[in-house]
Amino acid sequence: MHNKWFRFLLMLGTPFLAIALVLPVSSTGAFAASKPTYTIAYEGPLSGGNAQLGLNMEYSVQLAVNQANAGKTFGTLPFQLKFVPEDDQGLASVSPTAAQALITNTSVVAVVGPAFSGATKAAEPAFNAAGLATVSPSATAPALATQGWNNFFRVVADDNAQGPADALYVKKVLKTKKVYTLDDASAYASGLVSAFDTKAKSLGIAVKHQTVQGTTQCQEGTGDVSEYPPLASEIKSSGDPVTFYAGYYCDFALLAKALRTQGYTGKLVSDDGSLDTHFIAEAGARVANGTLISCACADETKSASATSFAKQFKALAHFSIGTYSAEAYDAANTVISVMKSTGANVTRSSVLKGLRTVDYKGLTKTVQFQSNGNISGTAVYIYQVKSGKIAVVGLVSKLAK
Amino acid sequence: MCFTQNFWNLFISGIANGLVYALIALGYTLVYGVLQLINFAHSEVFMSGGFASYFILNALIGSSQPHGLASVGFVVLGIVAGATGGGIVAFLLERVAYRPLRRRNAPRLAFLISAIGASYFMYNLAGKEFGRDAVSIPSPFTNGTVFTVFGAQVQTYYIVIAVATLVMLVLLDRVVAGTRLGKGIRAVAQDAQTASLMGVNIDRVISQTFVLGGLLGGAAGFLFGLNAGVVYTMGFTPSLKAFTAAVLGGIGNIRGAVLGGLVLGVAENLGIACTQSSWRDVIAFGILVLVLLIRPTGILGERLGRSA
Amino acid sequence: MSAGLQPRTGSAARFWRSTDARRLFGCVVGALVVAVMTGPSGSASAPTSGFTGSLFRPRAFVFVALGLALWAVMTFRSRFGDVVRRANDRIIATPRQLLVNRWYRYIFYLAVFAFAIWYPTILSGYWQEVLVDQIGVFVLLALGLNVVVGYAGLLDLGYIAFYAIGAYSAAYWTGALPIHPPMHLNPFWAIPLAVLAAMLAGVVLGSPTLRLRGDYLAIVTLGFGEIIQIVATNLTGVTGGSQGVIGIPHFSLHVDSLKYVWHVKALPYYYLLLVFVVIALAAFRSLERSRVGRCWAAIREDEVAAEASGINVLKYKVMAFSIGASTSGFAGILTASKIGFIEPGDFTVQLSILILVLVVFGGMGSLIGAAMGAAVLQWLPQFLRVHPLFGFQPQDLFIYLGALLVVMMIFRPAGIVPSRRRRSEIGLAEHGVGTADAMSAAGGPVA
Repeated sequence: MHNKWFRFLLMLGTPFLAIALVLPVSSTGAFAASKPTYTIAYEGPLSGGNAQLGLNMEYSVQLAVNQANAGKTFGTLPFQLKFVPEDDQGLASVSPTAAQALITNTSVVAVVGPAFSGATKAAEPAFNAAGLATVSPSATAPALATQGWNNFFRVVADDNAQGPADALYVKKVLKTKKVYTLDDASAYASGLVSAFDTKAKSLGIAVKHQTVQGTTQCQEGTGDVSEYPPLASEIKSSGDPVTFYAGYYCDFALLAKALRTQGYTGKLVSDDGSLDTHFIAEAGARVANGTLISCACADETKSASATSFAKQFKALAHFSIGTYSAEAYDAANTVISVMKSTGANVTRSSVLKGLRTVDYKGLTKTVQFQSNGNISGTAVYIYQVKSGKIAVVGLVSKLAK
Repeated sequence: MCFTQNFWNLFISGIANGLVYALIALGYTLVYGVLQLINFAHSEVFMSGGFASYFILNALIGSSQPHGLASVGFVVLGIVAGATGGGIVAFLLERVAYRPLRRRNAPRLAFLISAIGASYFMYNLAGKEFGRDAVSIPSPFTNGTVFTVFGAQVQTYYIVIAVATLVMLVLLDRVVAGTRLGKGIRAVAQDAQTASLMGVNIDRVISQTFVLGGLLGGAAGFLFGLNAGVVYTMGFTPSLKAFTAAVLGGIGNIRGAVLGGLVLGVAENLGIACTQSSWRDVIAFGILVLVLLIRPTGILGERLGRSA
Repeated sequence: MSAGLQPRTGSAARFWRSTDARRLFGCVVGALVVAVMTGPSGSASAPTSGFTGSLFRPRAFVFVALGLALWAVMTFRSRFGDVVRRANDRIIATPRQLLVNRWYRYIFYLAVFAFAIWYPTILSGYWQEVLVDQIGVFVLLALGLNVVVGYAGLLDLGYIAFYAIGAYSAAYWTGALPIHPPMHLNPFWAIPLAVLAAMLAGVVLGSPTLRLRGDYLAIVTLGFGEIIQIVATNLTGVTGGSQGVIGIPHFSLHVDSLKYVWHVKALPYYYLLLVFVVIALAAFRSLERSRVGRCWAAIREDEVAAEASGINVLKYKVMAFSIGASTSGFAGILTASKIGFIEPGDFTVQLSILILVLVVFGGMGSLIGAAMGAAVLQWLPQFLRVHPLFGFQPQDLFIYLGALLVVMMIFRPAGIVPSRRRRSEIGLAEHGVGTADAMSAAGGPVA
């Protein structure tokens, strides 16, 4: 009888013991070191269909941390930096968990990310409640700045800055009365294109719009490439002299190829998702030449620091920099510069406070934030592909006078 | 109103898409013929073909721009490379994900789940090993307009697809109609048990059927990748469409698969002329559901054994 | 083949033809595949680097050694067999016998319930979040899919579409969508409406397609899943498009003076989920044991015989399908309200497949199995994320899950916690009796 009870208790106990072992009650704290250690985290997609975009940024943050620890970028720091990546798959449903992992890790003082607008919308309430600053390198949805999250920052211009500037440029410089606009159905592009369309219509331009699902190349979409040729002939027969494409370089390259093959002679305009040398490589220089690309970022291909960044990125990641790599690098360095100015005793709130007044000269732009977390001075530049290279044309505000 | 502007353009690019769908659909139909199972992992056979041809052509063509006979040679090479890649993967797939289950006479659900697992395994492994960014196959020919039909431009790419597909379809027809393997496939499709009693080695026929479907699917991967680029997730959507095409024509029916591919390719292209391009997949699945409800056996009826 | 037909061969040659040798080959190849899966990544410009980095390194020997060890265990199992069986009898079988006693069973359930209430309170914030977002919701989803796949034997690959319908209905009734409802409701009051919407969608999709053969159902549901995602993306004016819907309120309760609002914290949602999981468990258990459950079993074991014995096959299939759909829809509301934001990108076919993996891994047709499968497989990646053993990288997760599905189907098709009935059905099907799923082809079972 005793035996039976013992077994029963054993049976009762074992599962609980097992669960207690697998779900750690609390994470172990950092070990005491000679210098305090702080963690800069990154949240973005590291798996799933958008993994490449996320990895473009992850390695940038890691590089910034490595360089800072080695004393290369900010001199000797009074603290040691650690880097923690957290995968949110770019999904709103996974993002809160990733966020909570970073919030629970008390050594995290700032987060670079979340990378995607949707993931940011889902995670920000938790970050905000924890008072943890997030600096997104790539979330461009305008709504993010209007939710009253005082911990939200981004180093990219939102869609409302870029879209209308593009429309202004199309009206004043290209002097068109009709424009065909396309978006790839991503959150980024649909926001951008609706900002563009609204402004263009208010400027008296006739807008025809199509949504064409992005292919599974640059970002996860359900479209497939065979849709571009018919779309191209549709655009050609519309006779619109300007085509504006909101989306990423892979799809834009396919569209551009299809348009030129069908003999479309109008101007092609796209956005920062296409500001990538891969665009020229994939479309071919002959097709790409003359394409106008706008970006709320300064020329990032020329300066010596940019080339050295690209080289070191490749050494670390084993692939070349891509979309948002430079922005993520800037975001991480902005955070480190804030931490450095606070001294050895860095807290989440000191970083948050520091970010409000930061003034850091990065690769893509000088980083200063508005009170709602948007980057200030959202100057939109126009670039053009000339003889197989991306060259800067100038500021929209100057060109479109 | 929506068919006025570029009906013929859409029609011709629809035919080109449809031929690629048809090549993939044949893989589904052949396997369905002998196993009465949907090979959910066929999409990854298609993807492997794309990668195999990319590696070969990238190494050989590089940045040069071949023309003339060299172009033809490279296209043939690309097809052979794609077909080989697809064939090898299809062979392994049958061995690992199907044969052990067949030995045990597992329920049908188990086959579907095992194939879904194999598909996820393969495409994510490809993403890990070959990178998750899209790559483009260096073009073996210079694309341009060859001639125009009713104002629609027929490009070199379409000609390549049409010629390559037709050659492969004729070859397939000869194989199924005229060879020992073809006889075996038809026999197993009609009645596996009897075929086995008659001395047909079922294991071998099934394995060879997978390889045959794999060859076509791999070649389709090349033809598709030529225009679209190659990426580890490239298999999913085209394969789903191809499956739709196979059902549309009557699954298990070789001619049905080709017909279904063409009908689907053209229908969805004409469909997007009337709506937004982003509704394309909805059109394809809408057609699938309608066909299944109205005529579940497809346009030409099912069963490889009866109609091939 | 009989020995007489074989040429005389040496013992070495005979060994290479044996099951042992085949198993050895399988173990070594399997070990190498695992070595590649867990090894470094390659890239398109260096496609072989991942393979060479995994195979031509000392680590490959470790994996081969593990493979050989596995082979040894499998081959010399008969010697270990007794030990294992005896241990099994002592550790697992006896408690199971004990549970036959009703009082022990109640005490056990009570203890589990008490533990489930108390334990999360001492977890860190991260694990609380995991417990809700990654485990709890998925346990609920897996329980629902278990009704469809496990009980009725129907393969539903668009299960997440109903989750989306639930989530968007919740968004609609709480007034977060661009189109406005007749009145704004608290998420609690939106629950019945959203569940109803998901159930209706299940009936509408199910009634025509469930007449079809099983594998067509798989494709149609797969297509439906895609369509729902595309519709959610395209109908910007209705669903907010790819920007998603922000501002779905949290659950809240107002009963007279009592007022409680669920918030960003995970723990309150955990208790809410716990209540619903317990309700679902109880409801599905009693369904399984009722006339309905027996009809499902009859249908999946032999659809023709079930039809012949007067069971309205279509009715019971639609019933299973819509019960699954409403559970999924319910999980959708819960997530929408917990996170406060939904977007079409959340509702991918991948997610449907993931839930299928959870159910299959745990054990189709077994409530505890499905729940356990969901809990273990959803917990494991999170655990590996915190403790990256063997160089686990999150982007490789679906490689492992895919391989797991294949391996499960080959070696343990009934799952880790098999339902007794399902296991015997699979055994019967293997001997050519019945089909063990409602998917029989028009031409009957495959030889």
